[in-house]
Amino acid sequence: MTSTVNLEGKTLSSTIAKLNAPLMQAFDPRLSSESPVAIIPTPTYNTQAQRLADFDTLTAALEYAAAGAAGYNFYDAKGNLRSVLPYRALRLNARTSAQRLLSLGLVSGDRVAIVADTTPEFVELFFACRYAGLVPFAMPVPVNLGSHAVYVQQLRGMLEGGQASAALANTDYIAFLQEAAEGSQGLRWVGTPEQLGKLSAPDIALNANDPDEIAYLQFTSGSTRIPRGVIITERALMSNLRGIVRNGLEIHAGDRCASWLPFYHDMGLVGMVMAPMVAQVSVDYLATRDFAIRPLQWLRLISRNRATVAFSQPFGLKLCTLRVRDSDLEDLDLSSWRAAGVGAEMIRPDTLRNFAEKFAPAGFDARAFLPCYGLAESTLAVTFSQVGQGFQSLRVDASTLVDRKLAIRLQAEGRKYSEFVNCGRPLPEHTVKVVDDAGQELSDLRVGSVLVHGSSIMTGYFNNPQDTQKTLQPGNWLDTGDLGFVFEGDLYVTGRRTDVIIVNGRNIRAQDIEELAEQQPEVRTREASAFGITDTNDVTTIVLVIECRLTSTTDRQALTSRLQRLVYMAFGVNCLVELVPPHTLPRTSSGKLSRFAARQGFIQRTKLTDQLSAESGDI
Amino acid sequence: MASDYTEILQRLCHHLKKFCEPNVEITPETDLINQLAIDSVKLLNLIMEIEDEFDISVPLNALADVQTVHELANLIHRIKYTEQ
Repeated sequence: MTSTVNLEGKTLSSTIAKLNAPLMQAFDPRLSSESPVAIIPTPTYNTQAQRLADFDTLTAALEYAAAGAAGYNFYDAKGNLRSVLPYRALRLNARTSAQRLLSLGLVSGDRVAIVADTTPEFVELFFACRYAGLVPFAMPVPVNLGSHAVYVQQLRGMLEGGQASAALANTDYIAFLQEAAEGSQGLRWVGTPEQLGKLSAPDIALNANDPDEIAYLQFTSGSTRIPRGVIITERALMSNLRGIVRNGLEIHAGDRCASWLPFYHDMGLVGMVMAPMVAQVSVDYLATRDFAIRPLQWLRLISRNRATVAFSQPFGLKLCTLRVRDSDLEDLDLSSWRAAGVGAEMIRPDTLRNFAEKFAPAGFDARAFLPCYGLAESTLAVTFSQVGQGFQSLRVDASTLVDRKLAIRLQAEGRKYSEFVNCGRPLPEHTVKVVDDAGQELSDLRVGSVLVHGSSIMTGYFNNPQDTQKTLQPGNWLDTGDLGFVFEGDLYVTGRRTDVIIVNGRNIRAQDIEELAEQQPEVRTREASAFGITDTNDVTTIVLVIECRLTSTTDRQALTSRLQRLVYMAFGVNCLVELVPPHTLPRTSSGKLSRFAARQGFIQRTKLTDQLSAESGDI
Repeated sequence: MASDYTEILQRLCHHLKKFCEPNVEITPETDLINQLAIDSVKLLNLIMEIEDEFDISVPLNALADVQTVHELANLIHRIKYTEQ
């Protein structure tokens, strides 16, 4: 009786209600004749005393939360509640699944790969792994047109990179997973949650987890190269969760979360699955796909269930601003929303201003904006601004920023400026510093690389000592790859170093695009350079510059179209391809291409300077 | 069935026209990615319009095997007429 209450197929009168249901299940005749059952979401006010993440491990936190009434609620694209998973049921189901996983012969520390659709089954499997002492990792769902082959390759990369012993996907994605698993040496079992559920659950005792064991792997880039799996221990995880719920969000009785963030993303998984649970708070979920197509549904969830905490990337806020109609505002009441967390990519003040302006008539209070900064390599969160204060920003002179790597507050109107959002202060047990290229710490307002030290830093990248060594510097300082400055104790992020391009909220590694190009017979190694250019409307475009020996217009056009198509299929974005004569791309003394110089060259050739926004990535 | 498909194709093309330059000719063989440049944001709008127009739900996993207008029309047809 305590298992998931599943409403699948109970609202067949509307086909839209089946958005999340796999095609095959939608045909299932068993589902068609059942009458609707009224179910209610888990309550906001819990029946137990609230404990704010003061647990040694994730399963210890779930053991406690299971004694209360809170839990996870899953909504469909139309706003109907489809499944309710109270923490009590999650605990029971996860423990049973843990025994089934162990019956497959998996041993403590083995990795289990799970395609992470927004479903109760994913959450149950994730916690089942922890109960069994196994290390889960979440894999993405495909989102792009024509991405079949690329997606399978991406899954294969993760299965190999994480050396998974078992892999699961629901019926929608199992065919992709099976294709990816073909020929794998390490995989002992591949199947759906239903297939796992058919195995008998042997009465195997489940041992408590140790704070020093690996809690999960988080893959940071899903692309053509072997992706990197961040290793997070239980200790690091619990430290970060404590920081988030106590210091970042100041969670208290009456809080409720609403989220559309994907479960395969650190902000979705750590921030909106684990953090609420370790504070015994209820969450309402909308699948990412459903949010992306109809962003209004997320705001409706917040409005209807009186959610107080909801996070988004800036891009998600932009989608809301762009796609919600003014006529929809009448039915919304966003006044309960006290913590509108924003993070995971550069935050532009205008994105927040436009959102606040649009949704003020619906009761949205701009003081709810809560900019924060973090990355998977530090579990999730590093800095938080002060909750309830809204966002603060700093306008700095654009040319001084670029020429002298110095943020000088704007003195006179009329000069070109860049405005940066205050991301706040580090969580307890964490330190942030900004260093120059030589690793020397910089004073306030000087722009350099952002480094983080603290209790939620990763142990390293799984099975990848080379990248680990590059990222974790002596003294265990994590090089975030971001650029920024500190001012009066607060962190301001000003850009990314040129190795990552962020388009529509997704991180794309420049190297991945270049490698895709170099796989073409016409393109030689080290003759492709990829970077992003961001215009003053904050739209980032990927540019791929290729040194090309082809002379015929037809051949050149064919190469250009093919590259654009490949980039689209792999990353879901359009790109600009420029073919240049050999030896055009600038190289360093060691013969390596400089993306920064390539970008400067492109901007000069195309005379784009005035239309681009000044970022410290330009330095 | 054939006429259903033709009708779907016509209605689909009507929507696709909004996503591309006015002089682009759309045929069943037209490539959504290369020729119409449907990026991920346009795709969301397109799916929303398709779902509203045809009263169906388009699962993400099915889109992974769609590249041309014909393939998309076929998918819509399959969802619409096998679900009911």
